[in-house]
Amino acid sequence: MTATAVRESTRAPANTSPGDVLAGTGTLIRFILRRDRIKLPAWLLGICVLLLQLTTAASNLTETEEQQADVRRFMEGAVGAIFGPGYGRDDISADLYVAGVYGLVFFVLAALMSIQLVSRHTRVEEQNGRAELLRSTVVGRYAQLTAVLTVAVGANAALALMISGTMAARDFGGDGLLFGASVGAVGLVFAGVTSLTVQITEYARTATSIAGAVLGGAWVVRVAGDMMNDYGSSLSWFSPLAWSNQTRPYVDGRWWPLVLSVGLAAVAAAAGYALSDRRDVGAGLVAARAGTPAAAGWLRSPFAVAFRLQRTALIWWTVALSMFGFMFGGFADQITDTDGISEDRIEMFGGSVDTLTEGFLGVITLFTASLAGVMLIHGIQAVRSEETKGRAEPVLATATSRWTWFGSYLAVLAIGLVAALLVAGFSSGVGAAISVGDGSYVWDVTAAHLAHVPGLLVILGIGALLFGVFPRAIAATWVVLGLGLFTGVFGTLMDIPSWLRNVLPMEHAGQPPLDDVAWPAMIILLVVAGGLVAGGLTAFRRRDLETK
Amino acid sequence: MTAAIATSGLVKTFGQTRALNHLDLTVETGEVHGFLGPNGAGKSTTIRVLLGLLRADSGRAEVLGSDPWHSAVALHRRMAYVPGDVELWPNLTGGEAIDLLGRLRGGLNQARRADLIDRFDLDPTKKGRTYSKGNRQKVAIVAALASDAELLLLDEPTAGLDPLMEVVFQDVINQVKAEGRTVLLSSHILAQVEELADKVSIIRHGEIVQSGTLTEMRHLTRTSIEADTNKPVTGLDQIPGIHDLDATDGRVRFAVDGAHLNDAVRALSQFEIRTLISHPPTLEELMLRHYGDELAAVGGGQKSGDDDGEGR
Repeated sequence: MTATAVRESTRAPANTSPGDVLAGTGTLIRFILRRDRIKLPAWLLGICVLLLQLTTAASNLTETEEQQADVRRFMEGAVGAIFGPGYGRDDISADLYVAGVYGLVFFVLAALMSIQLVSRHTRVEEQNGRAELLRSTVVGRYAQLTAVLTVAVGANAALALMISGTMAARDFGGDGLLFGASVGAVGLVFAGVTSLTVQITEYARTATSIAGAVLGGAWVVRVAGDMMNDYGSSLSWFSPLAWSNQTRPYVDGRWWPLVLSVGLAAVAAAAGYALSDRRDVGAGLVAARAGTPAAAGWLRSPFAVAFRLQRTALIWWTVALSMFGFMFGGFADQITDTDGISEDRIEMFGGSVDTLTEGFLGVITLFTASLAGVMLIHGIQAVRSEETKGRAEPVLATATSRWTWFGSYLAVLAIGLVAALLVAGFSSGVGAAISVGDGSYVWDVTAAHLAHVPGLLVILGIGALLFGVFPRAIAATWVVLGLGLFTGVFGTLMDIPSWLRNVLPMEHAGQPPLDDVAWPAMIILLVVAGGLVAGGLTAFRRRDLETK
Repeated sequence: MTAAIATSGLVKTFGQTRALNHLDLTVETGEVHGFLGPNGAGKSTTIRVLLGLLRADSGRAEVLGSDPWHSAVALHRRMAYVPGDVELWPNLTGGEAIDLLGRLRGGLNQARRADLIDRFDLDPTKKGRTYSKGNRQKVAIVAALASDAELLLLDEPTAGLDPLMEVVFQDVINQVKAEGRTVLLSSHILAQVEELADKVSIIRHGEIVQSGTLTEMRHLTRTSIEADTNKPVTGLDQIPGIHDLDATDGRVRFAVDGAHLNDAVRALSQFEIRTLISHPPTLEELMLRHYGDELAAVGGGQKSGDDDGEGR
């Protein structure tokens, strides 16, 4: 906290009645519900649809003795700790599997729903100046925060009930409501945390990032704690995510850990209220820092500008992919332990017990490559928003051609892709080499990651072509990427028509290190990517710039 | 003098909307050319065609002797642009944005950059997302004016600036004019154009409806006359070109077409003039001449119609 933005507490309400600071809360609640009449139901329904699908998957995965043994192994040790403390793994059933392994997905979704909800109706409103307009009417100091927290409590309660209903519909045991409440409790905690973080900074994005970092931190603490000890250690209990696991739904359910969740949510929200008193509307507790009055010397070409604007995103993607790769590379030994492995898993990891490690690393490499594809599509969409937000216009009004401007972004993304996959592949390879105890994996896995570059460049090319020809349809690139990942992972288990596999660019890379690098295919993919990019650049040169 | 900007028959449509409808615009080198019209008349579209950001459906455009669509980059080295609605990069400071745009144009004059930042009272260390609309506008103005560009395209450059900054802006533009550079100044602030512009073009529904110096344009419209006379005024309504005549005991008011001003004054002098006030038509009246029917259609009178002009 810096002194500049902190107000004397004498400005706090001294002679106003409690009703004043809450004036208008009821109207604001209805207003929030009106504004979020699509978003909130979409979140709630989306989560329940996902739950319904995962319960089906869980039932299919726990049918036979062999499968159950396999799942049990999956819930043990370091891999198991990623998802949860592993309660009930000795007597596995579908409901247990959903609550114990897939539960994490729902905790994260509930947290994200709450973080976005609270930020959207507090800091985003302030940053855009709309809060000022509202606060100039008969609206109390605490009304906006109270209104959104009320909606957040309602949304998480509804989520708990809907999850409980979904679990009941699948004829799972009696702990559906407890599982639902555990999920809702995580949402509640992060609604409270966000009501605190939005007070700290002037920017909604920073506020949600801090709340997201708290979520990530909570997960890391829980994983570390659960790795130290079966069913969690005392370290685990420092994480709000652990409390929702420690309710042990479908094992021997207990409600009291959720008291901790509600308590933390209340404390965080109270801190949010207290801090909101000590700052001005629109200001943060931390004053905005001044930046440099002049641009750095190297910032003088369109390429440098494109790099400068994409830099932060590229760095974070590389860090995240490397951590992902290192972690899963490190599980190579445990996951590919052939003792009691199921046919499904052998099939998924290459179909042969002999090459199980390579098959597993191939799947992980494909995952990392797909995530790098997400980075590319995000990148293209960022270029598109430069155009639609009106920031491309002044740049293109300088001596910068359309070719150079768009081409620079594409070059930055392509180089960023190679760098990200190089670093992520190396980290993943080091993880695998340590885990299996074979140094050759370092090179093999790095090369495998790089083998995905040409296929991903084709995806970049598709995005570039759409940008030039039909920019509103850039999002269609997601379909290509999504299908590529889906066929890559499940292609062997399902009958994917061969023509579909042939048009998907990532298919042609195969699954290195399991498959050898197919050089002719690589070269063809590079040529195709080059053609698509050239088409996109030419089309962009020929179309109108979209202006505000 | 050669024309810095010359367009003929420019047409640009967006779907059903015809934004430019055979637009003919000429801006001579070295002049400050006022480009007037309300929102949606086609000012920004014209400027974007002149920058080669939009491609005209038909017609011819020439900027500094070249086609703006095909020679965009070469031309942009010699031009600077201030958009009407400036968006900055949220995580770059204003100073960085100024340097970036200047360098991409091919360099900017450091002394002038410092001077402009000082005169416009701009804090260049703040990040783009923290600037108010007026300050974003200042960033774009400094970036454009710190260059040595020979042609400046300014699209409502002072929208969001306070009156003090408006004065600074007029100062700077007069300086630019003294250096012999050309300015196309789109605006709907009439006082600003009246103060700065050598010539004015009025655009309506994508067409230039009138173009010329203010003097020429005034000649084409009516001068209003107000006089006190010793003898009661009679018979003025017989003179052609006199409108809105209102004579009450020794005081007369009327408007007269430029071509008949001489006849009117000669007739008036027979009634022993004691005082005489004549107003040349203001730019507002010139504008209203072209937009008066629209105002009448929406129920605004002739006189109440200037809120579009200076309401910002």
